[in-house]
This record gives sequence, C-alpha cells and structure tokens, in this order.
Amino acid sequence: MANDPMKQFEIKKILELPQIAGQDISFTNSSLWMVIGVVAVIVFFALTTKGKLIPGRMQSLGEMSYEFIANMVKDTTGPEAMKFFPFVFCLFFFILFANIIGMNPYAFTTTSHLAVTVAMALFTIGIVIVAGIWKNGFKWFKIFVPSDLPLPMYLLIVPIEIISFLSRPVTLAVRLFANMTAGHVMLKLFAIFIAFLVGKGGLMAGAAIVPIIGTLGLVALEFLVAGLQAFVFAILTCVYLNDVYHVDH
Amino acid sequence: MSNKNGTSSPKASSSDLTALEDRVKAAQERHKPKDYSQNDDGSLLGMAWRLSTELVVSILVGMGLGYGLDMLFGTKPWCLFIGLGFGFAAGIRSVLATADKMDAKTSDIPIGDDMPLSDDELDY
Repeated sequence: MANDPMKQFEIKKILELPQIAGQDISFTNSSLWMVIGVVAVIVFFALTTKGKLIPGRMQSLGEMSYEFIANMVKDTTGPEAMKFFPFVFCLFFFILFANIIGMNPYAFTTTSHLAVTVAMALFTIGIVIVAGIWKNGFKWFKIFVPSDLPLPMYLLIVPIEIISFLSRPVTLAVRLFANMTAGHVMLKLFAIFIAFLVGKGGLMAGAAIVPIIGTLGLVALEFLVAGLQAFVFAILTCVYLNDVYHVDH
Repeated sequence: MSNKNGTSSPKASSSDLTALEDRVKAAQERHKPKDYSQNDDGSLLGMAWRLSTELVVSILVGMGLGYGLDMLFGTKPWCLFIGLGFGFAAGIRSVLATADKMDAKTSDIPIGDDMPLSDDELDY
C-alpha cells in the first residue's frame, strides 16, 4: 500500500477515449465508481420496490427512504415543489451511495473531488435560475432586490445579494468535498501510523493500540459523515429551491 | 374498544374518545412540517466548517465576478478589488445570518427571513 495519504484521490485513466473539443473525456477510475454508485442505487430500488401490499423488511427500507425525501421536500420548500422531488431524490441517493461505497477499502470516493461536487452544485443552481425565470418571468430577479430600502442602499445591497446567491451552491460543493477529503485523509493517516508503530517493534508495537482505537472511532464517524453530508446537500438544495417559489420574501 | 359483536359499549366510550383524541393528536404531530435545519450539522466542527466555508467562498465568488468584469471591460485590477469588498460584505452577512440561525435553534429567538418556511407560513 502506498503511504502517501493523498494517493487515494489519484485519478487514473481506465479507457482512453478521443478528445472532444480539446477536452479529455477518458473513462477514469472516478467515472467507474460513479457508474458503480448509480448501478447500486438502481439495483437497491429495483429490489426494494416490489410493490407488495404488506411490505417486507427491504421494501419498508425503500418506502421509508422515499417518504423521507418526500417529506423533506414538502416541509422545506412546500408541496408545490414536489416537481423537484425526483431531482432531490437522485441527488441524495447518488451522494449517499458514493460516500458509503467510498468507505470500502480499495474503492474510490468520487465525492472527494471538487469537480464532481461542483458539477452537482452548478446543476442545482442552474435549475433554480431556469425554473425561477420559467415560473415567475423576469419578476424572479426581485429576489436580488429587497423591498423598502432607501435608494442609495440598492447600489450596495444588490451586488451583495447576487454574490450570496451565487456563493451558496459553491459552499455546498466545497462542504461535501472538504468533508469527504478531510475524513479520508485522516483515516489514512491513522492507518499509516499503526503500520509505522508496528514496524518499529517492541514497546512501540504495543502503543499501536492507540491509533487502532482511533481508526475504529474514525470509521464510525466517517459513516456518520457520509450520511450527514448527503442529507445536508439534499436539504440545502431544497432550501435553494425556495427561491423558485417565494420571490417576495 | 369494541366488544365481540363489533359494537362499542356505551360505558367505555368516553375513555375511547380520549384515546382516539390522543391518537389523532399524535398523527397530526407526525404530519406537521418539521424543522430540518435542526439536524443540519449540529456538531461544533460542523458549525466551524459551515461558517468558514461560507466566508471564504463568498469572498472568492466576489473576486471571481470582479475578475470576470475586469476581463470584460479591460479595467484590471479595479473590479477585482471592488468584487473583493462586496464578497467580504456578502460573506460577513451570510455568516451572521447562519450564526443567527444556529442561535435560534438553541434559544427561542424568531428566525431570520431567509429560513425555510416555518409551520404557520406553510399552507397546505
């Protein structure tokens, strides 16, 4: 095993593909694990949604996850936002599965790359902008212009509002990326430390028990973070979708 | 609740009613919109992550916009500086708003207006 904690994030090309418009579109290990994640989500829901009247254990799991996201969308954005339910649902389960698959040894954590998380965040804000203009027309731009302000204040407030609006999805992406990367680096460091202490032998090898306990705790924490970050991404997407429906706030 | 014949006995009806009332209340409680932001990164580390990324990202976005305007108008470096200022202002503003929300969770302070709608604002 490599003992460089950053090595696990390395992108390797698996299948070379011709460039399109100067962009490298080769199939990489990241792409492979994304495909595995998507297939896992599809298989999970194919197996758990048999539609039996009395749900078994697995079917309840599938139904509960549906209800969980449905309630989240309804509660944070309102029932009219259920149009976006499929989007939030896909987002949540893709991130959740990507995070959890990434916890397996030898697996690649796709969400630990800014490119992946930013793509999801940009898609989210794109949806908010397009749907907002679609639904409200150009009145939608009023979200940048708070009412009841003295005229000169608008010169200051409007750019600030625009920057806050644009920075929210970036925050989303950075948060997911930073959490996953930091967690995996920390795990790797602790694990390397165990090997290092055992390699020293003698009394030092006995001291390896400390990082072993640390690693165990970190693994549990990372599973929590994997779920929590998927949840946070989904819930904040719902909060941003508020801007589509509630223009005059 | 009901006897063997499926008719409810008049004696038990008052306690039945209260039991039913309790169940209705519990069901209504379940269907109430929950405040999910409560669950959002409750830990101290989560708060720190959230606040710091918000500030840094706002500044970077402001600078990015300024840089873009510079490229557009050829006014290097002035829009970048202005963007930096606005980005900083936006960052501080959103950090304060988030901190307010975090405070509001622990005490019963009315929450700011960019929160997801509260219970009474949602109409079903």
